Amino acid sequence: MLIIKKENLDNLKDELAKESKLVDLQQRDVLPFKKYFFLVEEEIFSFNKEDNKLSSKGGSAFDGKDQKEPEPFILFGLPLRATEALVQLDEIMKTPVPDFYYFQRRKASTVISIIEEDGPVPHLGVDLILEKINDKEYKVHILTEKGKNISKSKLFVKSDKKEIAGSAKKNKTMSELRKLLLDPELLKDAVEWSWKGFPEIWDDLGKRCIGCGICTYVCPLCHCFSIEDGCSLNGKTCSKTRKWSACTLPEFATVTGGHDFHPSIKERYYNWFYHKFVRAYKEYGKAQCVACGNCQRQCPARINIEEELLKIIEKYQEK
Amino acid sequence: MDNIYQPEQVRVLDIKQLSPTVKLFRLKKSVNFIPAQFVLVGVWGYGEAPFGCASSPYEKSHVDIVVRNTGGVVTTALHNLKKGDEVTFRGPFGNGFPLDFFEGRDLVMATGGCGIPPIAALIEYVIENRDKFGNVYLLYGAKNPEEILMKDKIKEWEEKISIILTIDQPHPKWKGHVGFVTDIVSEIDIDPKQAVATMCGPGPMVDALEKILKPLGISDRRIFVSMERKMQCGVGRCQHCTTGDKYVCTDGPVFNIDEVDKNWD
Repeated sequence: MLIIKKENLDNLKDELAKESKLVDLQQRDVLPFKKYFFLVEEEIFSFNKEDNKLSSKGGSAFDGKDQKEPEPFILFGLPLRATEALVQLDEIMKTPVPDFYYFQRRKASTVISIIEEDGPVPHLGVDLILEKINDKEYKVHILTEKGKNISKSKLFVKSDKKEIAGSAKKNKTMSELRKLLLDPELLKDAVEWSWKGFPEIWDDLGKRCIGCGICTYVCPLCHCFSIEDGCSLNGKTCSKTRKWSACTLPEFATVTGGHDFHPSIKERYYNWFYHKFVRAYKEYGKAQCVACGNCQRQCPARINIEEELLKIIEKYQEK
Repeated sequence: MDNIYQPEQVRVLDIKQLSPTVKLFRLKKSVNFIPAQFVLVGVWGYGEAPFGCASSPYEKSHVDIVVRNTGGVVTTALHNLKKGDEVTFRGPFGNGFPLDFFEGRDLVMATGGCGIPPIAALIEYVIENRDKFGNVYLLYGAKNPEEILMKDKIKEWEEKISIILTIDQPHPKWKGHVGFVTDIVSEIDIDPKQAVATMCGPGPMVDALEKILKPLGISDRRIFVSMERKMQCGVGRCQHCTTGDKYVCTDGPVFNIDEVDKNWD
């Protein structure tokens, strides 16, 4: 097998950074990796009212002339759960029709995962996986052509050493929820049932959640967005900007005339759970959650999301 | 890769005032659509919004949309347009009415206020294929006589299908029905074992359902409802238009009523 020594990871990073732009995901960031493919905010079209010309800064073009492909870049050091999230996000963005902007950036990217957590190693979605096999070495999994090219570096060496089982660390983040995710049907049934079957919990959460949307922004899988129009000060150029949105924000489901289908925080917060565990299950057969713990870590109302889900499951199983 | 978010520029051929707050926009665009499919129409700098196609699906020289000025950003911007101006256009989106299921059956279409556009397209389809349908009824309710839209069309349609108009409150100039009242049921001659019903628009439809469609004996599986939500992306991704586990923009806007009536939202 091919391995790389831990002490060479920094050298690999330096080597790669010479060739192309490199984002080091080992540097902690509040926002998840999705922001490199699905931008927080991106002007997708601009329209010049004087010459009636539609153009795009986001990369697509009306006539192909202003087409600007995103520059190649490398995401370095995606951990296990984020790698799983990327595989899911690719599927979401592909269904039912591919998202132009997302896949333009996906195509420009090379993703290298560094897996130090105990768990099955993903076999698609990224280009190269470095799996920790002992304190000093990482085993190399080549998944794509791009990954193969990187593996040609002299920093990768052949080794016939045995893997040391149990060298990967147990990740304690949301470990109970992590187990629950193996039974997405139970999560779906329980969350679906809870709206009427366990209303107290939603009354309580509706009061505690402040509706800020942070849980959705830090989630590697949340992908709500809005397309907003804007205008230059002289009124000559108009634009459409795609922005992250959050289903927990007011007016997310308001139609013209003012009717709001999710009028209070309680409905909106439930909708967030409902999407992750019910709607997603019906669409994709799994929960839109990898138990990364970002939502819980960043919630300003300190809602222990894992605990609340466990309460719902417990109540559901009691009934 | 196609960019599904890219709008095209479409010219406004004509604008007609249908009521004090409602205008019809005739757009120079040939659209292949099924009645109840919707399009996203907007004005640069203001945004876009979903509208049901209101013209005949056989019409290839233009498409009509009906816009109530709710005071919102997009509807106000559309109402400020003049003939010859341009709008942004994407679509059509959604499923539309299951026309082949409707064929050979009696049809009851219940709608209210601004819920007439998709029904107008359905009526045009029915009239074009009149021999394929049994008895056809339009039950159309509005706040007051002024708010009954597409009056010219209604006159044309009356020759081919039965139309029952109602208003919400008694009005000095109004001699017809007031409210969706139970005695309308006696005017409707259908075979409840095979008839289908369609509904559009929120509020008054619940009334129509409870007071008319249920007493007529049409089963839930044959009642189709066209839902209203905030469709933004049009392709089932942005999450604004969900109801329960359904996306109104791709699974709908037309649903069997028993697919959506138990949704939590």
